[in-house]
Amino acid sequence: MNFANTPSFANQGLQPGGRLALCVLASLALLVGDSQYGLMEKARDAISVVLYPLQRAANVPLNLTMQVGDFFTAQAALKRENDALRERDLIQSSHLMRMSSLEKELQQLRRLNALAAQPSHAGVVAEVLYTGRDPFSYRLIIDKGSSSGIASGQAVIDENGLIGQVTRVQPLSAEVTQVINRHYIVPVMIERTGHRALLYGFGGGVEVRYLPISTDIRENDLLVTSGVDGVYLQGIPVARVKQIDRLGGAAFARVRSEVIAGVQSSRFVVIMPNRRLPATPPVAEAPADTAKTDKKSP
Amino acid sequence: MNYDRPQELLKPVKRRFITLTFVVALALELLPLPQGSNRWLPDFVALLILYWSVNQPRRIGIGMAFGIGLLADVVTTSMFGQHALAYSVGAYLILLRQQQLVMFNLGQQTLVILVLMVLMQLLMAIARWSVGASLPGLGYFLPALVGALLWPLLTKLMLLPYRSERH
Repeated sequence: MNFANTPSFANQGLQPGGRLALCVLASLALLVGDSQYGLMEKARDAISVVLYPLQRAANVPLNLTMQVGDFFTAQAALKRENDALRERDLIQSSHLMRMSSLEKELQQLRRLNALAAQPSHAGVVAEVLYTGRDPFSYRLIIDKGSSSGIASGQAVIDENGLIGQVTRVQPLSAEVTQVINRHYIVPVMIERTGHRALLYGFGGGVEVRYLPISTDIRENDLLVTSGVDGVYLQGIPVARVKQIDRLGGAAFARVRSEVIAGVQSSRFVVIMPNRRLPATPPVAEAPADTAKTDKKSP
Repeated sequence: MNYDRPQELLKPVKRRFITLTFVVALALELLPLPQGSNRWLPDFVALLILYWSVNQPRRIGIGMAFGIGLLADVVTTSMFGQHALAYSVGAYLILLRQQQLVMFNLGQQTLVILVLMVLMQLLMAIARWSVGASLPGLGYFLPALVGALLWPLLTKLMLLPYRSERH
């Protein structure tokens, strides 16, 4: 005998059709409300806080295996890594020494020229909790949120370059939209020439669009953030040019490029402070700057 | 007649057990798995919705599917309502023919589940597309296929705690 087969004699509430209609209507309302008007952020925050323990619990086995793995790392490997790190430390500390004096000089010059001083570049380190399963949204969830001072709009980098931007902040976690997300645009410049361009994500990769054919760009050129916006500090590496198609008859060159940062693989990321822009000058009639980031639209 | 389905006396399913299965499925979504894995990893929450609405239609119906869908929306960082829409439609289609479905053998059920999983994926794709995402390729339906293939295993697994000791 199968209990599941027992017919329900007492039919309570709405017919299935009615229920479905109700649910479908509610879903559609939510979809529109969330995508067009961003009405659901509060609810999302609340649910994500409730789910946070589960999130941490899901990470426990992985962390344990990693810890066990760390424990059994061979000494030789540790030694090698230690040596490499020490060497890098030496090189970087020499860079740093020069940097700090240069920075002081720069601040002085900026003061002399009455330019706004740039904030210091201290970032917050966060760990990637998981990547969203949704194939449409190239997003990461990190384990720092508004309680650690993260704000929406901050740039996120790893040791190699730009990963993306914080787009949604919850109390204990935050969502990072990756540069390869569709709708993601980064103002970049070609490091070699200083030519400014826009880097578009297209869902799984990035490309430079609307670059006149005559532009001086070559394969293997490095694209770094140009800093022409309030979001990214200047000079963060973003992508490397892979291939340039200059089609006769087209006004723009097709530039395929490859993201440098481990957008799909980094486990630890650094959240950079926003670049502070000087107050907008009173003349507001200036034409809209083309090099403006489009803060994602989900 | 159905020969595959275990016909021994089953203990009644506890609500606690149903909740636990959903918690585990949601936790699976939250696992920091390698990036490529979500190209084939099925949507376990969807599978569970289908499973429980076939086997416990009084407990998991359209409304529950909707609510769990909302949770899944937050967990998978997708649009609000996307999973909720797909899950409630899936649950509804199951409930339409639930009394026949439980009588099917596992092979027949798997086929039905395959169709439903693909349909649910399609609904989500359309929902995303209508608010401005691009349509995905055919590879997008691979998880649905894998999920349907896992159906017999899931059924056996779920019945495990509810076999009577002696039969």
